[in-house]
Amino acid sequence: MPRFPKPWSKKRGKRNLGNSLAGEAGEVAFYAAVFLVGVFGLSLVLINEVAPESVAQVPTDALRTGLSTWVIGVLSLAALVTGGASLLYRLARIGASSERRSAIAKMAGSIEMLGPSADDGQPLPSVPKGSAITESPGERLTYRLAAEKTKASIAGPATLALLWSSVWFVLLAVVVSGFWYGRPRWYLAMLLVPFAVIGVWSFRFFMTQFRQHAGVGPTIVEISNHPLFPGRQYRLFVSQTGRLKLKRLTVQLTCEEETFYRQGTDVRVDRHEAICQVIFKERNVAVDPQAPWEQQLQLDLPENVMHSFVGTHNAIRWKIVVIGESQPWPSFCRSFPVVVHPPGLPLKRNPR
Amino acid sequence: MNLSLCHENGFYRAGGNLSAKWRISRVPLDEVQGIEVSVMWHTEGKGDEDLHVHHFQRLAENQIRRVGLADEQSICCVLPVTPLSYHGRLISVQWCVRMRLFLANGREIVAEQPFYLVSEKMAVPHSVEAIKSPLSLPQSTDSHNEKVVDHSSAS
Repeated sequence: MPRFPKPWSKKRGKRNLGNSLAGEAGEVAFYAAVFLVGVFGLSLVLINEVAPESVAQVPTDALRTGLSTWVIGVLSLAALVTGGASLLYRLARIGASSERRSAIAKMAGSIEMLGPSADDGQPLPSVPKGSAITESPGERLTYRLAAEKTKASIAGPATLALLWSSVWFVLLAVVVSGFWYGRPRWYLAMLLVPFAVIGVWSFRFFMTQFRQHAGVGPTIVEISNHPLFPGRQYRLFVSQTGRLKLKRLTVQLTCEEETFYRQGTDVRVDRHEAICQVIFKERNVAVDPQAPWEQQLQLDLPENVMHSFVGTHNAIRWKIVVIGESQPWPSFCRSFPVVVHPPGLPLKRNPR
Repeated sequence: MNLSLCHENGFYRAGGNLSAKWRISRVPLDEVQGIEVSVMWHTEGKGDEDLHVHHFQRLAENQIRRVGLADEQSICCVLPVTPLSYHGRLISVQWCVRMRLFLANGREIVAEQPFYLVSEKMAVPHSVEAIKSPLSLPQSTDSHNEKVVDHSSAS
Protein backbone atom coordinates (compact mmCIF):
# COMPACT_ATOMS: atom_id res chain seq x y z
CA MET A 1 0.00 0.00 0.00
CA PRO A 2 1.55 3.34 -1.03
CA ARG A 3 2.35 5.62 1.90
CA PHE A 4 1.22 9.21 1.88
CA PRO A 5 4.33 11.42 1.92
CA LYS A 6 4.73 13.37 5.16
CA PRO A 7 4.98 17.14 4.61
CA TRP A 8 7.86 17.40 7.09
CA SER A 9 11.25 15.85 7.74
CA LYS A 10 12.83 15.10 11.09
CA LYS A 11 16.37 14.53 12.25
CA ARG A 12 16.89 11.49 14.44
CA GLY A 13 20.51 11.36 15.49
CA LYS A 14 22.54 11.29 12.32
CA ARG A 15 19.62 10.18 10.15
CA ASN A 16 17.02 12.31 8.43
CA LEU A 17 13.54 10.81 8.62
CA GLY A 18 11.10 11.58 5.85
CA ASN A 19 11.58 12.92 2.38
CA SER A 20 13.45 16.25 2.36
CA LEU A 21 11.56 17.31 -0.77
CA ALA A 22 8.22 16.64 0.96
CA GLY A 23 9.50 18.66 3.92
CA GLU A 24 10.33 21.59 1.65
CA ALA A 25 6.93 21.33 -0.04
CA GLY A 26 5.27 21.31 3.39
CA GLU A 27 7.18 24.44 4.42
CA VAL A 28 6.26 26.19 1.18
CA ALA A 29 2.59 25.31 1.68
CA PHE A 30 2.67 26.54 5.27
CA TYR A 31 4.26 29.88 4.42
CA ALA A 32 1.92 30.31 1.47
CA ALA A 33 -1.04 29.77 3.81
CA VAL A 34 0.35 32.34 6.29
CA PHE A 35 0.81 34.81 3.43
CA LEU A 36 -2.74 34.27 2.16
CA VAL A 37 -4.24 34.60 5.65
CA GLY A 38 -2.36 37.90 5.93
CA VAL A 39 -3.74 39.08 2.59
CA PHE A 40 -7.28 38.11 3.63
CA GLY A 41 -7.06 39.85 7.02
CA LEU A 42 -5.51 43.00 5.59
CA SER A 43 -8.19 43.11 2.87
CA LEU A 44 -10.94 42.96 5.53
CA VAL A 45 -9.33 45.80 7.45
CA LEU A 46 -8.87 47.95 4.34
CA ILE A 47 -12.46 47.35 3.24
CA ASN A 48 -13.69 48.29 6.69
CA GLU A 49 -11.58 51.44 6.84
CA VAL A 50 -11.79 52.71 3.27
CA ALA A 51 -15.23 51.76 1.97
CA PRO A 52 -17.41 50.00 4.53
CA GLU A 53 -20.70 51.04 2.91
CA SER A 54 -19.81 50.15 -0.67
CA VAL A 55 -19.43 46.42 0.06
CA ALA A 56 -22.64 45.38 1.70
CA GLN A 57 -21.81 41.67 1.82
CA VAL A 58 -18.75 42.06 3.99
CA PRO A 59 -19.63 41.54 7.68
CA THR A 60 -17.71 44.43 9.15
CA ASP A 61 -19.52 44.63 12.47
CA ALA A 62 -16.73 42.76 14.21
CA LEU A 63 -14.24 45.30 12.99
CA ARG A 64 -16.30 48.32 13.92
CA THR A 65 -14.19 49.35 16.94
CA GLY A 66 -10.95 51.17 16.19
CA LEU A 67 -8.71 49.06 18.43
CA SER A 68 -9.72 45.68 17.04
CA THR A 69 -9.29 46.98 13.50
CA TRP A 70 -5.75 48.05 14.23
CA VAL A 71 -4.90 44.82 16.04
CA ILE A 72 -6.17 42.69 13.15
CA GLY A 73 -4.44 45.01 10.69
CA VAL A 74 -1.06 44.72 12.40
CA LEU A 75 -1.36 40.93 12.77
CA SER A 76 -2.37 40.57 9.14
CA LEU A 77 0.51 42.72 7.98
CA ALA A 78 2.94 40.67 10.09
CA ALA A 79 1.56 37.43 8.64
CA LEU A 80 1.77 38.85 5.11
CA VAL A 81 5.40 39.99 5.47
CA THR A 82 6.57 36.87 7.35
CA GLY A 83 4.79 34.47 5.02
CA GLY A 84 5.91 36.29 1.86
CA ALA A 85 9.56 36.61 2.88
CA SER A 86 9.79 33.02 4.12
CA LEU A 87 8.07 31.75 0.98
CA LEU A 88 10.53 33.58 -1.28
CA TYR A 89 13.46 32.32 0.81
CA ARG A 90 12.28 28.72 0.61
CA LEU A 91 11.60 28.95 -3.13
CA ALA A 92 15.06 30.40 -3.77
CA ARG A 93 16.63 27.39 -2.03
CA ILE A 94 14.85 24.79 -4.15
CA GLY A 95 16.41 25.56 -7.52
CA ALA A 96 20.15 25.38 -6.71
CA SER A 97 22.52 22.85 -5.23
CA SER A 98 23.80 23.46 -1.70
CA GLU A 99 27.36 23.95 -3.01
CA ARG A 100 26.22 26.60 -5.48
CA ARG A 101 24.25 28.46 -2.79
CA SER A 102 27.29 28.41 -0.53
CA ALA A 103 29.54 29.67 -3.35
CA ILE A 104 27.07 32.49 -4.14
CA ALA A 105 26.91 33.44 -0.47
CA LYS A 106 30.71 33.46 -0.29
CA MET A 107 30.93 35.62 -3.42
CA ALA A 108 28.29 38.03 -2.06
CA GLY A 109 30.20 38.30 1.20
CA SER A 110 33.41 39.24 -0.59
CA ILE A 111 31.86 42.20 -2.47
CA GLU A 112 33.26 45.42 -1.09
CA MET A 113 30.42 47.86 -0.47
CA LEU A 114 31.92 50.73 1.49
CA GLY A 115 35.21 49.33 2.62
CA PRO A 116 36.99 46.06 3.21
CA SER A 117 34.72 43.24 4.30
CA ALA A 118 34.79 41.82 7.78
CA ASP A 119 36.49 38.63 6.62
CA ASP A 120 39.49 40.41 5.14
CA GLY A 121 41.33 40.39 8.41
CA GLN A 122 40.31 36.79 9.14
CA PRO A 123 43.19 34.50 8.22
CA LEU A 124 41.60 31.51 9.96
CA PRO A 125 38.17 30.70 8.52
CA SER A 126 35.66 29.21 10.98
CA VAL A 127 37.91 29.98 13.96
CA PRO A 128 36.47 32.58 16.36
CA LYS A 129 38.57 35.72 16.63
CA GLY A 130 38.22 35.94 20.39
CA SER A 131 39.04 39.64 20.36
CA ALA A 132 36.64 40.20 23.28
CA ILE A 133 38.73 37.82 25.38
CA THR A 134 41.85 39.97 25.11
CA GLU A 135 40.09 43.27 25.78
CA SER A 136 40.54 43.17 29.56
CA PRO A 137 44.06 43.40 30.97
CA GLY A 138 44.80 41.30 34.02
CA GLU A 139 46.38 42.36 37.33
CA ARG A 140 48.64 39.34 37.79
CA LEU A 141 48.87 38.00 34.24
CA THR A 142 48.37 39.48 30.78
CA TYR A 143 44.66 38.93 30.17
CA ARG A 144 41.65 38.63 32.45
CA LEU A 145 39.20 36.17 30.92
CA ALA A 146 35.53 37.06 30.70
CA ALA A 147 33.10 34.61 32.26
CA GLU A 148 30.45 33.02 30.08
CA LYS A 149 27.08 34.48 30.94
CA THR A 150 25.00 32.05 32.91
CA LYS A 151 21.54 31.34 31.59
CA ALA A 152 19.98 31.23 35.05
CA SER A 153 19.17 34.75 36.14
CA ILE A 154 17.61 35.98 39.36
CA ALA A 155 15.16 38.28 37.52
CA GLY A 156 12.92 35.43 36.32
CA PRO A 157 12.38 33.70 39.69
CA ALA A 158 11.94 37.10 41.39
CA THR A 159 9.28 38.19 38.88
CA LEU A 160 7.48 34.85 39.17
CA ALA A 161 7.47 34.93 42.99
CA LEU A 162 6.36 38.57 43.10
CA LEU A 163 3.57 38.25 40.53
CA TRP A 164 2.25 35.00 41.97
CA SER A 165 2.24 36.41 45.51
CA SER A 166 0.46 39.56 44.28
CA VAL A 167 -2.25 37.53 42.55
CA TRP A 168 -2.65 35.35 45.65
CA PHE A 169 -3.12 38.39 47.89
CA VAL A 170 -5.67 39.91 45.50
CA LEU A 171 -7.65 36.65 45.59
CA LEU A 172 -7.33 36.59 49.37
CA ALA A 173 -8.77 40.11 49.53
CA VAL A 174 -11.72 39.01 47.34
CA VAL A 175 -12.40 35.99 49.60
CA VAL A 176 -12.12 38.04 52.81
CA SER A 177 -14.42 40.74 51.45
CA GLY A 178 -16.94 38.02 50.51
CA PHE A 179 -16.99 36.72 54.07
CA TRP A 180 -17.19 40.31 55.38
CA TYR A 181 -20.32 41.12 53.36
CA GLY A 182 -21.98 37.79 54.06
CA ARG A 183 -21.47 36.33 50.54
CA PRO A 184 -18.71 33.75 51.00
CA ARG A 185 -16.94 32.42 47.87
CA TRP A 186 -16.13 28.86 48.91
CA TYR A 187 -14.65 27.68 45.61
CA LEU A 188 -12.27 30.60 45.50
CA ALA A 189 -11.36 30.06 49.15
CA MET A 190 -10.49 26.41 48.43
CA LEU A 191 -8.41 27.40 45.42
CA LEU A 192 -6.31 29.61 47.66
CA VAL A 193 -4.67 26.51 49.22
CA PRO A 194 -3.03 25.06 46.04
CA PHE A 195 -2.23 28.57 44.90
CA ALA A 196 -0.45 29.14 48.21
CA VAL A 197 1.60 25.95 47.68
CA ILE A 198 2.74 27.22 44.28
CA GLY A 199 3.51 30.59 45.85
CA VAL A 200 5.70 28.96 48.52
CA TRP A 201 7.52 26.90 45.89
CA SER A 202 8.20 29.99 43.73
CA PHE A 203 9.46 31.89 46.78
CA ARG A 204 11.79 29.05 47.79
CA PHE A 205 13.10 28.82 44.22
CA PHE A 206 13.77 32.55 44.26
CA MET A 207 15.59 32.23 47.61
CA THR A 208 17.80 29.42 46.25
CA GLN A 209 18.78 31.54 43.25
CA PHE A 210 19.30 34.56 45.48
CA ARG A 211 21.60 32.65 47.83
CA GLN A 212 23.62 31.40 44.88
CA HIS A 213 24.06 34.92 43.54
CA ALA A 214 24.68 36.58 46.88
CA GLY A 215 26.84 33.97 48.62
CA VAL A 216 29.28 33.06 45.88
CA GLY A 217 31.54 35.96 45.03
CA PRO A 218 33.06 36.62 41.63
CA THR A 219 35.60 34.24 40.13
CA ILE A 220 38.65 35.76 38.43
CA VAL A 221 40.71 33.86 35.88
CA GLU A 222 43.77 35.40 34.23
CA ILE A 223 46.03 33.88 31.60
CA SER A 224 49.56 34.66 30.43
CA ASN A 225 48.87 34.57 26.68
CA HIS A 226 46.04 34.24 24.21
CA PRO A 227 45.10 32.61 21.78
CA LEU A 228 46.33 29.20 22.86
CA PHE A 229 48.33 26.79 20.71
CA PRO A 230 48.42 22.99 21.15
CA GLY A 231 51.52 21.66 22.87
CA ARG A 232 52.37 24.91 24.66
CA GLN A 233 52.36 25.87 28.32
CA TYR A 234 50.53 28.82 29.86
CA ARG A 235 50.36 30.35 33.30
CA LEU A 236 46.98 30.71 34.92
CA PHE A 237 45.82 32.73 37.91
CA VAL A 238 42.53 31.83 39.57
CA SER A 239 40.88 33.75 42.38
CA GLN A 240 37.60 33.06 44.20
CA THR A 241 35.98 35.59 46.46
CA GLY A 242 32.96 35.46 48.75
CA ARG A 243 32.24 33.80 52.08
CA LEU A 244 32.37 30.11 51.35
CA LYS A 245 33.39 26.77 52.73
CA LEU A 246 33.92 24.60 49.71
CA LYS A 247 33.91 20.85 49.95
CA ARG A 248 35.81 20.69 46.68
CA LEU A 249 37.19 23.21 44.19
CA THR A 250 38.20 22.12 40.71
CA VAL A 251 39.78 24.05 37.85
CA GLN A 252 39.72 22.25 34.52
CA LEU A 253 40.25 22.79 30.84
CA THR A 254 37.48 21.40 28.65
CA CYS A 255 36.82 21.03 24.95
CA GLU A 256 33.12 20.82 24.21
CA GLU A 257 31.35 19.80 21.04
CA GLU A 258 28.12 21.73 20.57
CA THR A 259 25.50 21.01 17.94
CA PHE A 260 22.18 22.61 17.10
CA TYR A 261 19.51 20.65 15.30
CA ARG A 262 15.87 21.00 14.48
CA GLN A 263 13.44 18.45 15.82
CA GLY A 264 10.03 19.27 14.48
CA THR A 265 9.56 22.96 15.18
CA ASP A 266 12.02 22.98 18.10
CA VAL A 267 15.70 23.85 17.91
CA ARG A 268 17.64 21.61 20.26
CA VAL A 269 21.20 21.82 21.51
CA ASP A 270 23.39 18.89 22.35
CA ARG A 271 26.77 19.13 24.04
CA HIS A 272 29.52 16.61 24.58
CA GLU A 273 32.69 17.11 26.59
CA ALA A 274 35.33 15.74 24.24
CA ILE A 275 38.37 16.59 26.39
CA CYS A 276 38.51 17.36 30.11
CA GLN A 277 41.88 18.05 31.70
CA VAL A 278 41.89 18.73 35.45
CA ILE A 279 44.38 21.50 36.18
CA PHE A 280 43.78 21.80 39.91
CA LYS A 281 41.69 20.03 42.54
CA GLU A 282 41.52 20.70 46.26
CA ARG A 283 39.23 19.63 49.12
CA ASN A 284 37.97 21.72 52.05
CA VAL A 285 38.71 25.18 50.71
CA ALA A 286 37.79 28.14 52.93
CA VAL A 287 37.08 31.46 51.24
CA ASP A 288 36.77 34.62 53.30
CA PRO A 289 35.84 38.14 52.08
CA GLN A 290 39.09 39.40 53.61
CA ALA A 291 41.20 36.59 52.17
CA PRO A 292 40.05 35.34 48.79
CA TRP A 293 41.32 32.01 47.57
CA GLU A 294 44.11 32.55 45.02
CA GLN A 295 46.26 30.12 43.10
CA GLN A 296 48.92 30.29 40.38
CA LEU A 297 48.55 27.32 38.05
CA GLN A 298 50.18 25.94 34.95
CA LEU A 299 48.14 24.94 31.93
CA ASP A 300 49.62 22.39 29.51
CA LEU A 301 47.59 22.27 26.35
CA PRO A 302 47.89 18.79 24.82
CA GLU A 303 49.30 18.31 21.35
CA ASN A 304 47.21 17.07 18.45
CA VAL A 305 43.94 18.61 19.64
CA MET A 306 41.34 20.31 17.50
CA HIS A 307 41.33 24.09 17.30
CA SER A 308 38.27 26.19 18.21
CA PHE A 309 35.65 25.98 15.52
CA VAL A 310 32.38 27.83 14.97
CA GLY A 311 29.92 27.01 12.21
CA THR A 312 26.26 27.91 11.82
CA HIS A 313 24.97 24.81 13.59
CA ASN A 314 28.10 23.24 15.06
CA ALA A 315 30.90 24.46 17.28
CA ILE A 316 33.94 23.21 19.16
CA ARG A 317 34.54 25.40 22.19
CA TRP A 318 37.45 25.45 24.60
CA LYS A 319 36.97 26.85 28.07
CA ILE A 320 38.49 26.98 31.52
CA VAL A 321 35.90 25.85 34.04
CA VAL A 322 35.92 26.57 37.78
CA ILE A 323 33.62 24.25 39.76
CA GLY A 324 32.91 24.66 43.45
CA GLU A 325 30.91 22.30 45.63
CA SER A 326 29.89 24.25 48.67
CA GLN A 327 27.82 24.18 51.86
CA PRO A 328 25.41 25.77 52.74
CA TRP A 329 25.44 27.71 49.46
CA PRO A 330 24.51 25.85 46.29
CA SER A 331 27.34 24.57 44.10
CA PHE A 332 28.55 26.77 41.26
CA CYS A 333 30.20 26.26 37.90
CA ARG A 334 31.72 29.14 35.94
CA SER A 335 33.16 28.92 32.46
CA PHE A 336 35.76 31.16 30.84
CA PRO A 337 35.98 30.65 27.07
CA VAL A 338 39.37 30.63 25.36
CA VAL A 339 40.30 30.26 21.70
CA VAL A 340 42.68 27.54 20.54
CA HIS A 341 44.39 28.06 17.19
CA PRO A 342 45.76 25.26 15.01
CA PRO A 343 49.44 24.41 15.54
CA GLY A 344 52.17 25.63 13.23
CA LEU A 345 51.03 29.23 12.93
CA PRO A 346 53.40 32.10 13.78
CA LEU A 347 52.92 33.38 17.32
CA LYS A 348 51.32 36.79 17.69
CA ARG A 349 53.41 39.30 19.57
CA ASN A 350 51.90 40.08 22.93
CA PRO A 351 50.71 43.73 22.90
CA ARG A 352 51.02 43.97 26.68
CA MET B 1 32.26 9.65 -13.00
CA ASN B 2 35.90 9.35 -12.05
CA LEU B 3 37.33 11.77 -9.51
CA SER B 4 40.91 11.48 -8.26
CA LEU B 5 43.16 13.53 -6.01
CA CYS B 6 46.84 14.34 -6.48
CA HIS B 7 47.84 12.85 -3.08
CA GLU B 8 47.16 9.16 -2.93
CA ASN B 9 46.96 9.02 0.88
CA GLY B 10 44.40 11.85 0.94
CA PHE B 11 46.32 13.99 3.46
CA TYR B 12 46.76 17.65 2.61
CA ARG B 13 48.62 20.24 4.62
CA ALA B 14 46.73 23.36 5.65
CA GLY B 15 47.54 26.16 3.21
CA GLY B 16 48.92 23.71 0.63
CA ASN B 17 47.90 23.06 -2.96
CA LEU B 18 45.27 20.60 -4.05
CA SER B 19 44.66 19.40 -7.56
CA ALA B 20 42.05 16.91 -8.63
CA LYS B 21 41.24 15.30 -11.96
CA TRP B 22 37.82 14.28 -13.14
CA ARG B 23 36.30 12.58 -16.10
CA ILE B 24 32.78 11.61 -17.13
CA SER B 25 32.25 8.55 -19.19
CA ARG B 26 29.31 6.62 -20.61
CA VAL B 27 27.03 9.67 -20.50
CA PRO B 28 25.95 11.18 -23.85
CA LEU B 29 27.08 14.78 -24.25
CA ASP B 30 23.61 16.05 -25.15
CA GLU B 31 22.16 14.68 -21.89
CA VAL B 32 24.46 16.75 -19.67
CA GLN B 33 23.07 20.12 -18.66
CA GLY B 34 25.67 21.24 -16.17
CA ILE B 35 28.61 20.17 -14.05
CA GLU B 36 29.64 21.60 -10.69
CA VAL B 37 32.95 20.81 -9.03
CA SER B 38 33.51 22.07 -5.48
CA VAL B 39 36.31 21.86 -2.97
CA MET B 40 34.45 22.16 0.30
CA TRP B 41 34.03 21.11 3.88
CA HIS B 42 30.86 20.01 5.58
CA THR B 43 29.96 18.75 9.00
CA GLU B 44 28.51 15.37 9.77
CA GLY B 45 26.93 14.18 12.97
CA LYS B 46 23.98 14.85 15.17
CA GLY B 47 23.57 18.54 14.41
CA ASP B 48 22.29 20.18 11.26
CA GLU B 49 24.85 20.27 8.50
CA ASP B 50 27.21 23.20 8.06
CA LEU B 51 28.67 23.52 4.60
CA HIS B 52 31.21 25.89 3.13
CA VAL B 53 32.53 25.85 -0.41
CA HIS B 54 36.15 26.92 -0.67
CA HIS B 55 36.54 26.58 -4.44
CA PHE B 56 33.68 26.33 -6.91
CA GLN B 57 33.62 25.72 -10.63
CA ARG B 58 30.48 25.42 -12.75
CA LEU B 59 30.38 24.37 -16.37
CA ALA B 60 27.21 25.41 -18.13
CA GLU B 61 25.73 23.48 -21.07
CA ASN B 62 27.48 25.49 -23.79
CA GLN B 63 30.85 25.22 -22.03
CA ILE B 64 30.45 21.45 -21.78
CA ARG B 65 29.65 21.28 -25.50
CA ARG B 66 32.81 23.25 -26.23
CA VAL B 67 35.11 21.28 -23.91
CA GLY B 68 33.54 17.86 -24.44
CA LEU B 69 33.55 14.90 -22.10
CA ALA B 70 36.24 12.80 -23.69
CA ASP B 71 39.27 14.45 -22.07
CA GLU B 72 40.20 14.40 -18.41
CA GLN B 73 39.63 17.77 -16.72
CA SER B 74 41.35 19.14 -13.66
CA ILE B 75 40.87 21.71 -10.94
CA CYS B 76 43.50 23.27 -8.74
CA CYS B 77 43.28 25.45 -5.66
CA VAL B 78 45.17 26.58 -2.58
CA LEU B 79 43.61 25.13 0.54
CA PRO B 80 42.84 27.33 3.55
CA VAL B 81 44.49 27.01 6.94
CA THR B 82 41.29 26.04 8.76
CA PRO B 83 39.05 24.26 9.61
CA LEU B 84 41.16 21.15 9.96
CA SER B 85 39.59 17.73 9.58
CA TYR B 86 38.07 16.46 12.80
CA HIS B 87 36.24 13.36 13.94
CA GLY B 88 34.39 13.69 17.23
CA ARG B 89 31.37 12.11 18.80
CA LEU B 90 28.79 14.75 17.85
CA ILE B 91 30.64 16.58 15.09
CA SER B 92 32.88 15.60 12.22
CA VAL B 93 34.45 18.15 9.90
CA GLN B 94 34.92 16.47 6.56
CA TRP B 95 36.74 17.95 3.57
CA CYS B 96 35.95 16.67 0.11
CA VAL B 97 35.94 17.36 -3.59
CA ARG B 98 32.34 17.06 -4.70
CA MET B 99 31.19 16.78 -8.25
CA ARG B 100 27.58 17.20 -9.28
CA LEU B 101 26.35 16.25 -12.71
CA PHE B 102 23.00 17.66 -13.88
CA LEU B 103 21.21 15.53 -16.47
CA ALA B 104 18.53 16.57 -18.91
CA ASN B 105 15.84 14.39 -17.30
CA GLY B 106 16.18 16.25 -13.99
CA ARG B 107 18.41 13.71 -12.33
CA GLU B 108 21.60 14.63 -10.51
CA ILE B 109 24.61 12.40 -9.99
CA VAL B 110 26.88 13.32 -7.11
CA ALA B 111 30.39 11.97 -6.67
CA GLU B 112 32.51 12.78 -3.66
CA GLN B 113 36.19 12.23 -2.90
CA PRO B 114 37.01 12.91 0.77
CA PHE B 115 40.41 14.06 1.96
CA TYR B 116 41.98 15.20 5.22
CA LEU B 117 43.17 18.73 5.87
CA VAL B 118 45.87 18.50 8.54
CA SER B 119 48.25 20.98 10.11
CA GLU B 120 51.97 20.90 9.37
CA LYS B 121 52.83 19.40 12.75
CA MET B 122 50.27 16.65 12.54
CA ALA B 123 50.53 13.26 10.98
CA VAL B 124 46.87 12.31 11.51
CA PRO B 125 43.68 14.36 11.65
CA HIS B 126 42.26 15.52 14.96
CA SER B 127 40.17 12.93 16.65
CA VAL B 128 38.87 12.44 20.14
CA GLU B 129 39.47 8.72 19.80
CA ALA B 130 42.72 9.11 17.86
CA ILE B 131 44.81 7.50 20.57
CA LYS B 132 42.39 4.65 21.19
CA SER B 133 41.58 3.71 17.63
CA PRO B 134 43.57 4.82 14.60
CA LEU B 135 41.58 6.49 11.87
CA SER B 136 40.93 4.79 8.63
CA LEU B 137 42.41 6.49 5.63
CA PRO B 138 40.16 7.92 2.98
CA GLN B 139 39.14 5.67 0.18
CA SER B 140 41.61 5.05 -2.57
CA THR B 141 41.67 7.53 -5.39
CA ASP B 142 39.99 5.19 -7.80
CA SER B 143 36.94 4.62 -5.69
CA HIS B 144 34.74 7.38 -4.39
CA ASN B 145 31.23 7.87 -3.07
CA GLU B 146 28.74 8.27 -5.84
CA LYS B 147 25.01 8.65 -5.56
CA VAL B 148 22.13 9.56 -7.78
CA VAL B 149 19.71 12.25 -6.68
CA ASP B 150 16.44 12.19 -8.55
CA HIS B 151 15.04 15.70 -8.74
CA SER B 152 12.88 15.05 -11.76
CA SER B 153 9.70 15.34 -9.69
CA ALA B 154 10.76 18.73 -8.37
CA SER B 155 11.55 20.25 -11.73
